[in-house]
Amino acid sequence: MTAPALVFVVDDDPSVRRGLDRLLRSSGLTVESFDSARDFLDRPEHEGPRCLVLDVRMPGQSGLDLHDHLVTTGRDIPVIFITGHADVPMAVRAMKAGAVDFLSKPFDESELLGAITQALERDRRRWEDRQRHAGSA
Amino acid sequence: MGDRPVTHVLRRPEVRVAGAAVAVCIGYFIGANIGFVLRLPPATPSIIWPPNSILTAALLLAPPKRWWIYLLAALPAHLVAELPIISPTSLVFSLYATNCLEALIGASSVRLLSSAPTRFDTMPRVAAFALGAGIVGPFLSSFVDAAAVAALAGEPYALVWRTRFFSNVLTELVLVPAVVFVAHDGWSRMRRASALRRVEGALLTAAITAVVVMYFVAPLTGPGPLLGSLDVPVAFFIPFVLWGTVRFGPAGASLSLLATALVVIWSATHGQGGFASPPTPESVLALQVSLAVSAIPVLALAGLVEERWRDRLALADRLRFEELLARLSGAFVHLASNRMDEAFLVWLERLGQFLGLDRVMLLRLSPDGRLFTVSHGWAGAGLAPMSTENLSAMFPWSVRQLLRERPVMFRSVHELPEEAARDRESLVEIGISAKLALPLVAGGRVLGALSLVTVGRERAWTDELVARLQLVAEVFANALGRKESEDALRASELMKSAILASLNSSVAVLDGRGQVIEINRVWARFSPDFNHSQGREVGVGQNYLAVCREAASRGEPHAADAVLGIESVLEGGQSGFSMEYALGEMAAERWYAMSVVPLSRPDGGAVVSNTDITERKRAELEAQRTRQELAHVTRVSAMGELTASLAHELNQPLTGILSNAQAARRMLDAPKPDVAELRAILRDIVDDDRRAADVIQRMRDLLRKGESEMERLEMGTLVRGVLKLLGSDALIRNVTVALDLDVRPALVSGDRVQIEQVLLNLVLNAMEAVTERPATERAVIVRTRNVDGQGVEVSVEDSGPGLRRGTHHMVFEPFYTTKSTGMGMGLAIARSIIEAHGGKIWAENNARGATFVFHLPPAS
Repeated sequence: MTAPALVFVVDDDPSVRRGLDRLLRSSGLTVESFDSARDFLDRPEHEGPRCLVLDVRMPGQSGLDLHDHLVTTGRDIPVIFITGHADVPMAVRAMKAGAVDFLSKPFDESELLGAITQALERDRRRWEDRQRHAGSA
Repeated sequence: MGDRPVTHVLRRPEVRVAGAAVAVCIGYFIGANIGFVLRLPPATPSIIWPPNSILTAALLLAPPKRWWIYLLAALPAHLVAELPIISPTSLVFSLYATNCLEALIGASSVRLLSSAPTRFDTMPRVAAFALGAGIVGPFLSSFVDAAAVAALAGEPYALVWRTRFFSNVLTELVLVPAVVFVAHDGWSRMRRASALRRVEGALLTAAITAVVVMYFVAPLTGPGPLLGSLDVPVAFFIPFVLWGTVRFGPAGASLSLLATALVVIWSATHGQGGFASPPTPESVLALQVSLAVSAIPVLALAGLVEERWRDRLALADRLRFEELLARLSGAFVHLASNRMDEAFLVWLERLGQFLGLDRVMLLRLSPDGRLFTVSHGWAGAGLAPMSTENLSAMFPWSVRQLLRERPVMFRSVHELPEEAARDRESLVEIGISAKLALPLVAGGRVLGALSLVTVGRERAWTDELVARLQLVAEVFANALGRKESEDALRASELMKSAILASLNSSVAVLDGRGQVIEINRVWARFSPDFNHSQGREVGVGQNYLAVCREAASRGEPHAADAVLGIESVLEGGQSGFSMEYALGEMAAERWYAMSVVPLSRPDGGAVVSNTDITERKRAELEAQRTRQELAHVTRVSAMGELTASLAHELNQPLTGILSNAQAARRMLDAPKPDVAELRAILRDIVDDDRRAADVIQRMRDLLRKGESEMERLEMGTLVRGVLKLLGSDALIRNVTVALDLDVRPALVSGDRVQIEQVLLNLVLNAMEAVTERPATERAVIVRTRNVDGQGVEVSVEDSGPGLRRGTHHMVFEPFYTTKSTGMGMGLAIARSIIEAHGGKIWAENNARGATFVFHLPPAS
C-alpha cells in the first residue's frame, strides 16, 4: 500500500496560503499550510513522501534559513522555493543548496504542480528506499 | 596795529608839539608887545597883559605832562620882549616865574573844576573857567608878582597888586577863550560850518573890523559921515558882541569880546573915546573892571547859547536815531526770510554809520551752542571785515556773558575784569578799543549777539544808547527767530516731499474722513481703485474711501476688504491693516500689497500705500513650485527605492488571485463542484484584487505631483498605511519594524501625501541604517504620541550606528548624505514639509542608534 503524499506550504502571506491551498487540493493533493518556519518545524515528521513549498522572504526565519536548517539537521525534504521578489544570487544559492525548483510569484499552476510532482517522485523513492532498508533489517 | 592808518609826517605827535611850542613862543612875544603898547606910563603893568593868558591857554590845551615844554618855550620870548624894557634883570626872571605861576594855577584850577577845560559850552564850565583862570589864578599869583615888583622895582605893593590883578583878570577872561577856540578846534569847526554861517561869520568879522578901523583910522582923517562924534561909547560894540555870542557861542563871544577890549583899551590909552588923556588910574581901573565884569555875563550867555544849541542838536540827533530805529523795526516786521540777509547787511551799515562806529556785526550761535561766528557784518571805511573764525575760542568770557543773556560793554579794553584776560588778548590783537555786545534772545534761547565795536579809539556807551540798541537787538532776534522757524519748516517740508517722492510705492495721506491731503509721484501716476481696467487718479481733495466703496459696490474683489481695513484704521480700531491682492488676468496679472497705517494728527487720518509686489509674488510662487517639484522628485526617487518591495507587495495578492482562479477552474471540472468553496474563492480573489489596487493607489498618491491639500489626519492610521507599503521592504532587508502607537487619537492638519513622504523617508533611512547590523539586531520602532493636546509627536527609532557626533543639525541640510548613491535631499525636504506645517523635526542618538522625531501642531 502506498503511503499518502503530503505537500507542506509555508508562507506568511494569507492570500498566498489560501490560494495555494485551494489550488493544490483541487489538484488532488493533500496540503498542510503554516505561516512561519517555526510552526512547520513544530510539526512532527510525516510518514510518507512529502515536499515543501517554501516562501523565501518571511519575518523571523527566512525560507533559505529554514532550508539550511533542514539540511544540517538531516531532514531531507525536497523544497520548492517561491518568492515575490527574486534575484539571481538568491536563486543560485537555493539551487546549490539542493532545492528542487525556484519559482517567482505569480506562477502558473502548471509550473508549481510540475515541480511538486517532481519533488514527490523523488521523495517517494527515498521513502521506499527507507522502507526497504527498514524492512530488510 | 593793522587798522590804524599811517599818519602823515605833519600829524606826528612830536612835530605837533614842537609846532605848538613855537606858536606859544611867538604868541607870547606878540602878546608881550601888545601889552607894552597898551599901558599907562605911570604904572608898569599894562591894562591888558596877554602873555599870561597865552600860557594859560596853552596849559589848558596841553596835557600836564607837556606843560614844561610850553613854559620853557615862553622863556626866550619873555626875555627878548622884556629885557630891553624892564630892569633889573632879576625882575625880568621873577616876572617870568610869576607869569608861569599864574598860568599854572589858573590852568590847574580849571582842570580841576571843569569837566572839559577847553570848552566853554555849559554854564558850569564857564563858571569853572571864570573862577579858576579868571579869578583864582590872577589872585594868587598877583601876590607874588606884586612882591617881586615891589621888592625889585620899588613900587608900592598894594597898587601894583591891584593893577596887576585886574589886568590879569581881564586878560584871562577875554583872551583865553578866544585863543583856546582858535587853537583847539576853531579851524575844523569853521571848515564844517555851512556856507550861510561862513557868510554870517564873515559879515560879523567885517562889521567889527569896520568899526575897529573907523575907531582907529577915523580920528586921523576927521569926523566921518557915519560916526559924527568920535566919542562913541563902548556900548556901540555891544550889539556885535551879542551877535557874536548868540550866533556863534563861546567862540564868537570871546573873539568879539577881545576885539572890543582891545579897541577900548587902545582908545583909553590914547585919549580917545570919552577917556581923558592921559586917563587917570581910577578910570583905567574902572575900565578894566567894567570890561572884566561885562565879559563874565557874555561868556555865561555864550555858554547858555551853546548849551541850548547843543541840546537842540542832541534832540535832533535823538529824533533821527528814533526814526532810524522805527524804520528798522518796520523793515523787519514783515520781512520775508529770504530777504533777511540783505536787510541785515543794510541796517548794520546804517547803524554803524549813524553811530560813527568801526564795525557792527551780527553773531550767530550754532545750534549745538558751541560755536559763535559772524553771520553778517559791516566794517567802516578802511577796515578789514571781521573774520568768521569761531569767536568762542577768542572771547570765552564774552560768550559766557552773552549766553547768560547779559550784555558785554566797555569803553576800553582796560575796563575788562581779570577773568576776561583771554578776551583782552584777542581784543588787543585785533585792535578793538570799545565794544558793546547785546545778546539776541528769541523763544527763550540765545540765538547770537549784536556787536558794535570801535577800533583804535575809545567810546562811551550811554545808558540811553544801550537801551535803544537793546530794542534793535530785540528786533533782530525776533527776525532771526522767525527765519529759523521758517527755515526749519521749509526744510521739513522739503524732506517730507523728498521722502514721499523717493518711495517706490504709491503713497497717499488721508485725513480722518478718507480725503486725500497729500500724494506722492507714484500715486499720481497710478492710484489703485481696484479697477484694473482703468487706473483712475485719486488726487488731492478727492475721497479715497469713497472711491473704494464705489469699487466694492461694483463688486471688485478685495475692494470691500480694503474699505473695512481703511475704515477700521481711521476709526482707531486697528493699529494697521494690510492685505495682498491681485489685479489683471493671466499674464498681465499683477500683485499688490496695500498697507494702511494710522496717522497721529489731531483729527486723525491714515497713510495708505500700495506696493507692487508682483516680482516678489512671482518669486514666491516660483519657489513654491520648485519646492513641490523637488518634493515630487524625492518622492519618485523614494518610490524608486521601493520598487523591489512594491513588486513584492503586489506579487503576493497576484499570486493569491492566480492560484485561486486556477484552483476554481479545476474544481469546476469536478462532477459536483463545491459551490460554497467557489464562492469563497471568488471572495478571496476580490479581496486580493483590492489589496493590489490599494498598493497601486498608494504608489500613485505618492507619485502625484500636486498642490498640498490640507485634511485632518490621524497619525496612527497614516503610520500604519506607510508601513504597509514598506512591509515588504522590511522583509527583504530582514528588518523588524515595530509599532508603538498612542491609544489616544493623534489628530493633525496636514497634507497626507507630504506627511507620508516624511514618514517614508524616515523609515527607509532607519532601515538603511540597520542594514549593517546582524539580522537579529535590525530593529526599527515607529511611535506616535499625543502630546497632551499640544500636537502629535512621531518618532522613528533605529538600532543602527547612530548619528556622527555634531551632525544632529547637518543631517537636515540639503546634499548631506552618508549613502554613496544618495542625493541627500530627503531629510531637507522632510524638514521643509514639517516646518511648512508649523512643526519641528530633529534627530538625536538613543541607546543603540538614532531617533528622528517630528512634532506637528494639533488639528484646529
